[in-house]
Amino acid sequence: MSVKPATNQEYEFYHPDLFVMPENGAKPYLLGYLCQKCGKTWFPKAVPCPECWSEDIIQIPLSRVGKLYSYSTVHVGQKGIQTPYVIGYVDLPENVRVFAQLDMEPAELKIGMDVEVTAGVTRVDPNGVKTVSYKFKAVPAD
Amino acid sequence: MRKVYIVGAGMTPFGKFPDRPYYNLGKQAALEAIKDAAIDHRQIQAGFVGNVMAGMVPGQKVFKELGMTGMQIVNVENACSSGATAVNLGYWAVASGQYDAVMAVGTENLTGNRSGGTALAPDPDDIEGVQGAVMPGIYAMRARRYMEEYGITPEDLALVAVKNHKHASLNPYAQFRNLVTVEEVLASRMIAEPFTLLQCCPVADGAAAVVLCSEEKMRELGAKGVQINASILVSGKYKTEPGDMTVPEISERASRLAYSMAGLGPEDINLVECHDAFTIAEILYYEVLGFCGRGEGVGLLRSGAVELGGKVVFSPRGGLMCMGHPLGATGVAQIVEAVWQLRGEAGARQVQGAKVAMTHVTGGGVSGMDNAACGVHILTV
Ligand SMILES: [Zn+2]
Repeated sequence: MSVKPATNQEYEFYHPDLFVMPENGAKPYLLGYLCQKCGKTWFPKAVPCPECWSEDIIQIPLSRVGKLYSYSTVHVGQKGIQTPYVIGYVDLPENVRVFAQLDMEPAELKIGMDVEVTAGVTRVDPNGVKTVSYKFKAVPAD
Repeated sequence: MRKVYIVGAGMTPFGKFPDRPYYNLGKQAALEAIKDAAIDHRQIQAGFVGNVMAGMVPGQKVFKELGMTGMQIVNVENACSSGATAVNLGYWAVASGQYDAVMAVGTENLTGNRSGGTALAPDPDDIEGVQGAVMPGIYAMRARRYMEEYGITPEDLALVAVKNHKHASLNPYAQFRNLVTVEEVLASRMIAEPFTLLQCCPVADGAAAVVLCSEEKMRELGAKGVQINASILVSGKYKTEPGDMTVPEISERASRLAYSMAGLGPEDINLVECHDAFTIAEILYYEVLGFCGRGEGVGLLRSGAVELGGKVVFSPRGGLMCMGHPLGATGVAQIVEAVWQLRGEAGARQVQGAKVAMTHVTGGGVSGMDNAACGVHILTV
């Protein structure tokens, strides 16, 4: 895993290969790895392709919006994550399923709903240093 | 391949024993299994030892004070399936003709290893682990999805805990022997919605052991063994694409391989010790192990068919739910229970006329896999 300090106050998790938070203020997105031989998309990065062993793999931006496959509110969790916290599996159109924390209230949660990727604090170490990584949230109605 | 029999079985009670290191628990279980087999310990030619948390060479520490040194000792770590893996290796060592008599031991002291107030989590190097995944949360998502697809309720889930407590109340080896009601299960504190505390298997320490031997050796001992008709161990398949979390593929696959190896089917099985780490798990296993169709698990549970006195008794010892789950020990402990049941020695929790038993463990959190490893055994008398 590649956790690198971004500033003294924050860690960013997996940014180069997994997650992009554009500096120009554009919306964050996840990175997929599309095998040019068998057509499968992987998240996280896998080279060679675990399916066909081709090394001809290109990086693609994954769709920002997916469907919530399932969720739970965790009351007894890991050290470093304030409870309760909400977790879920999100299915993206590129045929990948992503596990993440959800920046959502339990009452908002519904299986099958659209959720979009966002950046947020996923854990805080014993010195108070935050890890910022991908999360999902409800797609605002407009 | 030669037939393989279990001629000795032993275990410690399961509970919280912070003062008893794993090697002390393992030694007791091994001693009892050897006494039960009435075999001279010097005839045991190899030992296979399942353990998760202890670190290097736990088996040597189990066997050294029993004077069982010099023989081949193999230490195996395969998460929740470590004990089943030890039995599987012992099975093949005898079946292949390499040895005539071996032991498999599973032993674990968790209370000395786990920090309180946290849930069992995947490795911190795992992408889901680092994002906050914990085992209760993963199974809770299976439950939530199943509830959505089949319209079952929290009360339905709680019935698994009620049944397994009923069974455990008859088992002196169980950690929790109290009866519980649906209301009590649902009122216990929330762990990962929809699971309350009493829907999650508790931490435990304990050990279990079996002596395996060839048919010839069994005759020489004058013993009447329980035959191992199937011993299957598989790993999870890695995929990052969406799949149906209510159909744990690894367990379905392992059970089909076991049925095929044994030449038996679900209709032949009298009792199952399955990996009921969470209430939903047992319901899913009724289905994927082949005892009912998809979405029919709660119906089967409510019919009484999986309770003592029913057609196929699930978790007669009280399951992981009431025994607790000392990771490396569980797979062997399930097999010890199966041996006692098949010999008709299970006391008040005896499954009447039991002739065929199945044991099933699965576990280990690796992102992209149902579980890391699954072990299934079928035993007969
Ligand atoms: Zn490929």
